[in-house]
Amino acid sequence: MAHSFFTAYQRATIEAAMARIIPTDDTPGAREAGCIDFVDRYLSGIEFIFAKPDGSGFEVLKGRIADAWRRRIEIMRTRYIEGILDLDSRSRKAFSANFADLAPEHQDSILREVEKKSQIKQIAATADGPALQQTSTEVDLDFFPLLVAHTRQGFYADPIYGGNRGRIGWQVIGFPGPASLKEVHEGRYTTLQYFADGEAEKVREFHDGL
Amino acid sequence: MASKKKPGRTGVVIIGAGASGAAAAKVLCEAGVKVVALEKGPWRTRESFGGDELANVNRYNLWPDPLLNPRTWRESADQKARVDLFCPVPQMVGGGTVHWQGWLPRFTENDFRLRTIAGDLPEASLADWPITYDELEPYYLKVEWAFGVSGQSGANRFEAHRSGGYPCPPMPVSRYVEKFHKGCSALGWNSFPMPQAALSRPYNGRKATVVSAFAQQHGDPSGTRSSALNVFVPDALATGNYELRPECIVRELVLDGQGRIKAAIYEDSDGDAIEQEADLFILACGAVETARLLLLSKSGRFPHGLANGSDLVGRNVTFHEYSAAVGTYDDPIYAWAGGGYVSASTFQHYEHDASRGFVSGGHLAVAGVGIPLPVNWHLPGAPAWGAEAKKIDRDYFNHSLAVAMVLHDMPQHDNRVDLDDEVVDAWGLPVARITLKPHRNDLDQGRYLIDRGAEILEASGAANIRKVYASRITGNCSHQHGTARMGHDPATSVLNKWCRAHEVDNLFAVDGSPFPTATGANPTLTIMSNAWRVADRIVRGRGA
Repeated sequence: MAHSFFTAYQRATIEAAMARIIPTDDTPGAREAGCIDFVDRYLSGIEFIFAKPDGSGFEVLKGRIADAWRRRIEIMRTRYIEGILDLDSRSRKAFSANFADLAPEHQDSILREVEKKSQIKQIAATADGPALQQTSTEVDLDFFPLLVAHTRQGFYADPIYGGNRGRIGWQVIGFPGPASLKEVHEGRYTTLQYFADGEAEKVREFHDGL
Repeated sequence: MASKKKPGRTGVVIIGAGASGAAAAKVLCEAGVKVVALEKGPWRTRESFGGDELANVNRYNLWPDPLLNPRTWRESADQKARVDLFCPVPQMVGGGTVHWQGWLPRFTENDFRLRTIAGDLPEASLADWPITYDELEPYYLKVEWAFGVSGQSGANRFEAHRSGGYPCPPMPVSRYVEKFHKGCSALGWNSFPMPQAALSRPYNGRKATVVSAFAQQHGDPSGTRSSALNVFVPDALATGNYELRPECIVRELVLDGQGRIKAAIYEDSDGDAIEQEADLFILACGAVETARLLLLSKSGRFPHGLANGSDLVGRNVTFHEYSAAVGTYDDPIYAWAGGGYVSASTFQHYEHDASRGFVSGGHLAVAGVGIPLPVNWHLPGAPAWGAEAKKIDRDYFNHSLAVAMVLHDMPQHDNRVDLDDEVVDAWGLPVARITLKPHRNDLDQGRYLIDRGAEILEASGAANIRKVYASRITGNCSHQHGTARMGHDPATSVLNKWCRAHEVDNLFAVDGSPFPTATGANPTLTIMSNAWRVADRIVRGRGA
């Protein structure tokens, strides 16, 4: 696969872990949304960091920003590689098989172990409260909270980033997102119809085309 | 670094082209003053903004990249500071106003005289402002009308005299605002539509806001929200007197033989060192970076940093803190619509009331929980992963709501910005080190406000109410003030009432740094109004 970082084996391991983070039940989960494609392409280099705001492709990073992103991607790659080794070593010790081959409940138990170990570095916002105004710095996260963050990003971020396939994540939670980044960029995306009853009607005359 | 041809001397150099720097530029340029603006970040246009939470919120498309622009934080001076992106603000033309949703309440009369109202508080350094509400009031109105603020005059019972109304009626009513008003009304508390920097009606040739779900923390591609970038900068440019130079990092301000500032030394985007001379220099970098630049500008005359003979530069820094009570409703309230911050507020718990056992208060306002999606949306106490986490996303994304506070944190002498002695930024300059410990008053007031927020949720029919108390000040709302206090006495302040340095008569600061106290309301309207006031004074001084 082009624009990939993981080996097939690493991909299978991370995909299995993501499928426990947002499991498939009566609605689709991380597997169906393609969260693995999201993270695999993200870690492939610096070509998919910022979508162009009209959705026509990705920005080419230059200068200091490119340097910073190369550093950041390298740090996260290391964290994933070490994280996968850790998952497997724990899995073999507890259940005599690699993580990807475990039953889901055994995978959960390994993930809980890893979560416990990394909790100190869990972002406070996620552990205790709403995101509020700021999010964590990715490179400060341990492997497991980083994986959780990337799974959620892959499930809910704009589909242009390779996850949220067919806007599955948005459908699961009932978010009527824009048809595309272009719709937002052109100022055609409105959520006025989700305001109080009658409010959209009151201001309709001030908007052409909405 | 090579050296290019030295640019010609100008009237005024403004360092920073965000809320305050662009406001000052507009006023000076419209009065015929030649201004050169040196802005650290890029000059982006609205075409470069989009509805992309991952890029805008999580990947530093708008936030400063912490690998390039780190800061450090420690609780007290005996600790080693650790790298922490403390109180970031977008660093680009337009500054924080590029990604805000623009809550623009005015301060109240008592905000300008907190020490008179509350007396002394042990461990805190309370001060009255050297200006009154009445002195600032005309400038509040100017900014509100320049921005086309949408609001309802007289709706905030605690607001002081206004010399005019708002140019646009309040924003359309969101379902979350309905809940907030219902809760406040049931409790007998006054509440009002949040005055917002967005157009509820077409105004000054700009369209009414589309009310996208990507607003708070997202740049606005539609140009229907108001910002320094799309109001003050075009106004200043239209005069032909504004030369805006983006991606220019000012390294220091240097003095002439008389102890006045001679020039700003900066590095341009090619890495070349440039010297820009001017008659006057205005700092508008945000309170943290303004203090940092003063401290970086050491000289024989000012060995501890420019205008810092009093050792007060960087001290008494305040940041507010944003936290919330969160609840859920049976009916959908879509608190992501409009970005989650088309809001309403109550000042019922804003004014000082000695019977509460702590000083002052803050405003409470309604908001969404996410920015807006579950990329960052998360209910307090919910598990981070697994079947239960997914169920909570699914069941509550459309049903959750926050009532948030703006904490009025107390100024303290030892809470300060100085220069880190190890960590440097991508340009090799020592970064701002924040030393900050919350005052007992901050924690008590925070608990009180969050408890009141929970009461609003409860009174409006919410369930699953969780209170997220602030346990420390994390700098999470991009508000920063107080590092170069204005006051009458040079022994207790850095700037005079016109925001001119006591010790350097051609140096001004117009961002949040002059604020003697933080107040409990969003600061940017007051920052811009004060910048307008100061610029007006400079214009009059030059004419005389």
